[in-house]
Formats: sequence, C-alpha cells, structure tokens
Amino acid sequence: MSKTFKRSKTARLIMMVPAAGMVLAGCGEKPVEVQVFNTPDECAAYYNPPAECKAAFAEAKALHPQVAPRYASKQECETDFGSGQCETAPVLAANNSVATGSSEQSQPQSQQSSGFFMPMMMGFMAGQMLNRGGMAGTPQQQSAATNRSPVANQPLYKSRDDRGTFRTATNTPVASQPGATSIRPSAVQPKPATMARRGGFGAQAAKRNVGSYGG
Amino acid sequence: MKRINSNPRPGWKAFAESVGFNFHTFDGEPYWDETAYYQFSLEQIEQDLEQPTEELHQMALDLVDDIVSDEQKLQQLAIPPRFWDAVLASWRAKEPYLYGRMDFSYNGSGPAKLLELNYDTPTSLYETGFFQWVWLEDQLMRGELPQGADQFNSLQDKLQQAFGELNLAQPFYFASVTESIEDKGTVDYLMDIALQAGLNCRYIQLEQLGDIDGQLVDLDGFPVHGLFKLYPWEFMLQEDFAGTILTSQTQFIEPLWKCLLSNKGILPLLWQKYQGHPNLLPAFFDDGSSLQNGWLRKPLLSREGANIELLTAEGKTFKQDGPYNDSGYIRQQLAPLPKFGDSYTLIGSWVVGDSAAGICIREDNSLITKDSSRFIPHIILD
Repeated sequence: MSKTFKRSKTARLIMMVPAAGMVLAGCGEKPVEVQVFNTPDECAAYYNPPAECKAAFAEAKALHPQVAPRYASKQECETDFGSGQCETAPVLAANNSVATGSSEQSQPQSQQSSGFFMPMMMGFMAGQMLNRGGMAGTPQQQSAATNRSPVANQPLYKSRDDRGTFRTATNTPVASQPGATSIRPSAVQPKPATMARRGGFGAQAAKRNVGSYGG
Repeated sequence: MKRINSNPRPGWKAFAESVGFNFHTFDGEPYWDETAYYQFSLEQIEQDLEQPTEELHQMALDLVDDIVSDEQKLQQLAIPPRFWDAVLASWRAKEPYLYGRMDFSYNGSGPAKLLELNYDTPTSLYETGFFQWVWLEDQLMRGELPQGADQFNSLQDKLQQAFGELNLAQPFYFASVTESIEDKGTVDYLMDIALQAGLNCRYIQLEQLGDIDGQLVDLDGFPVHGLFKLYPWEFMLQEDFAGTILTSQTQFIEPLWKCLLSNKGILPLLWQKYQGHPNLLPAFFDDGSSLQNGWLRKPLLSREGANIELLTAEGKTFKQDGPYNDSGYIRQQLAPLPKFGDSYTLIGSWVVGDSAAGICIREDNSLITKDSSRFIPHIILD
C-alpha cells in the first residue's frame, strides 16, 4: 500500500537559486537568421512563397506607424532621413497593441494626423519564412512551444547619409543588401514610439509605508 | 497539536539567503524560527483544517453571487460605485483566480474559527510552500524529526498545476511595490513556479506600469495583457490609474471580484448567510458603539493585524496601531488565539483554485498576529 503524502512531491526552484539560474537575455543570446527586402516582390524573387512575403510585408506595414521614430517637424525628420522621405504620423488608436508578429494586428490605422512626422518605410524584415527550396538559407529551428520566430516581422528604414543600409525603427543597422542576414533578436525588438504615462499605481504604498502590501 | 522544541539546522541562514529568502529576519528579530515546530495528527489536519477550508471557500464564493448585484452590500463593503459594474462583469465572466489564505484560531480540538480571509494579496507563500518543505526534508534527513513525519503543504505542487491550467495571457507580468523585499520575494517565488509551468514571465515594478490610451503597458510600451499584482485592489481603485483598470485589456490575478472577499466586511455577510456555522464567529458591521468584553473591532480594509482593537473576556484592551484607519469597521466575537508556552498561535490555511493546499503557522507574543510575527514550521505525525 502506498502512503498518500500531504506535501508537495518536489519543491524545486529554477530562478531564485542563482547557481541554477537561467540566462534570461543578453550576451548568451543566440543569433537567428532573418531576411530583409525592399518589397514583397523582391522577397518572392528570393525563392520565398509569395503569400508569406505579402503577409510579412503587411505585418511590417501595420507596425510601421506604431514604431517609426517620431519628429515634431518635417524638417527635423528629413534631416535624418532625407528630403521627401518623411510623412505625417497618425494618431494611434486606443488599445492598439504593437504586433510582435501576429497577423491579426493589421487593422487599418487611424488616419487622423498626430501633428508628428515619421520616416517612410523603405523595406521590411521577415522573421520567419518557409523557404520554398532552401536557397536563401535554412529556416530557423523553432521551439515547439511557440512555433514562431523570436523576431517580429517589422518595417525597415534608410537614413539620409547611408541609403544602402536597412535599419530598424530604433536605428539598428541590420543589412546592406536584400536577402538573409543574422541578428540577435533582442537588438531588433520593436518598441512603440508612443509615450506612456507612468507611476499611476503605488501611491497608497508610498503613503502608508509598511513592509509588505500582502497580508 | 503540540509545540515541540527542535534544533535548528546548522547554517540555515546562509542557506536561506542562497535560495532567495532574504527576509528571514525582521528588524533584528527572527521571522523564520525553527527552534520549534508544531505537530498535528492527520485527523486534526484533514477534519479540522483541510475540510473546513474547502467548505468555507465554497461558502465565500457563493456569497460573491449575492454581493455583486446588491447595492446595499457593495456599499457596506465600501466598493467605489464607479467599479460596481466592473466587479459584476469580472465575476460574471468567471475571471479565474489563483490563490488565497484564511486565518484560523485553532488549538487542536473543536472547530477552527475563521478570523478572516486574505483573498487578494496573501503572503508568506514562499516560506510555506518552499522553505518549510525543505526544512522538513532536511530535518528528516538529519534525524531531527521522526521518520514518517509529513507536512500539510502541497502548495507548490498545486500552484504549478494552477499556472499550467489557468490559460493566462503571455507574456504574463508580475508586479510588486519596489521597496518591499518581502513582496519581491513572494513574487519571485510565484514567477519561478510559473516558469516551471512553462509560462513566459516578466517582472515589472508596480510603479513602472504605464498607461497608453487606457491600456496598461510595460517599460517598452508593450501592452500588459496579463498581470499578477501583489498590491491590494482597494488601493488600485483609488489611485491615478484607477480608470485604466476599466479600459485596459488586462487579465488580473487576482481578478477584480476578489476585492469583495479580501474585505473584512465579508465576515458579517458570511455570518448573516450562515449564522451558527461551527467555523464562523458572530460578526457585524460596526455601529460605532463601545466594544463589549470578548469582542474585537477591525477595519474593512487592513493588513498584518494593523488597526485592530480587541477586548478580552476579562475586559483587558489590546490595540494595534497602523496605517489603515481610513475605512469602515466590523466587529467580531473574539476567539482568542491559543497559547503555547509564551506564544499565541495563528494558523493560515492556503487555498489554490478550490483546493486546500497546506498551512502556515505564525506566533506572536500578543493576541494580535502581525507582519513581524514568527513563522514556525509544522509536521504531521500520528
């Protein structure tokens, strides 16, 4: 007869115990392969399925107004990106989450101008592409849990003084020609350009000043 | 139920710190105290604590249904009217919950008496689920405890199972108040378990949460769709981002409807509905009159024993000051904590999902258990 215990079978820690701690990000991060293109047609010409090229482009395009750097004037924007290379930035709709690769995010952006300017999108990065033949590089090995690339499909830009280089919205250079390139996912993580209000929770803690807010 | 003196493990403090238990000592006084343990029989655990815990939990859930659509009760619990619809919606949507703890006065015989529910931000979780568990294993191995000793403590197993089954938004964020190392320890522990359950977890300081157009966002501006917050609902409902709670696409753990159960007003409402239940103490909303002997008064919203006024059967008054004097009060018949040696002993009984998941024991030199009260491990031995 087996005894029934009233306690947990194990009590293991993986994060709180430093010796067995996990590398969460940073220097241990492995580079992954992505592809960059000027247009969806160019993407398809690199032996990629056209439908996937279009989908990746659409995701990047939807992300563009959310992550593109914002400038108070057209002139300031053109100083960085060149004459005629900037457009007005729309007001972002409420609850508009930044797509990190999901296609449901391609809803139309509000056309109302925010009064800000942003560079035009000059290309896109495809984080994951099922290659038709394998010429443009082997697709990245995916973890079974997500089955998604750690890299979001995203817009790319070109600066005024360096028209050959594709850059992310946060000005990270990623490639100087179309096709496959290797990057660290954390370096190309898209970030919203919108400013958040902060500090809206915690006032009662500051006021009461006790050791714990549990009980 | 017995209190037994015991030899601490040599070097346990260094070990504690190596596994993230940085608050084992409180203002120079021991918080974790393994110079003694409590011993229960299996019958005491199962019949007097485990079974009543699950029954009281169901009674409390049934009561939520009565409260959410009753304006008088919502008012008695001092829920801001602006949030009544949201509380109702949160309950109707069956927003899932993770855990809670009820506190009992119990001396080893007779029904355990429910003192209160901590159903929003219960702490001493790590000490219970992990450190107490390791203590038992270590002391069994060292021969300090009798072979065959067990513990009522399936907390970590049940939490891991719950994290795996709750279908939480990912990445799932955990937030606590920056300055509190105790709360950070609790949140780290939960994150560790959630990680083991396969969740994509991130920590954010509570004060760093942002708002973009009514959506809670992280430091990079990404929407926070799932958030464990070790911060009381009643605080959140009166702070700058209170309005954000109504608009943000965020799944909160604990969910908003839990603000009804973490409120001491639940005690008189339980008594109204289940008057005479063996595990309940008579309780009423306070009318401001002077306390009678053998009764106590406590705020609707308070923590760690703060702002409690207690009158013993002999008429002796105990009062605990604190920062929670800005809500209404309830009064409850006193079920004095049992005294073992010089210590008054309180039993916390954990609930994960709908299951009783273990106990923790706190000792204090006074009748009122506080943040600083010592944590004493326990065993089950027949």
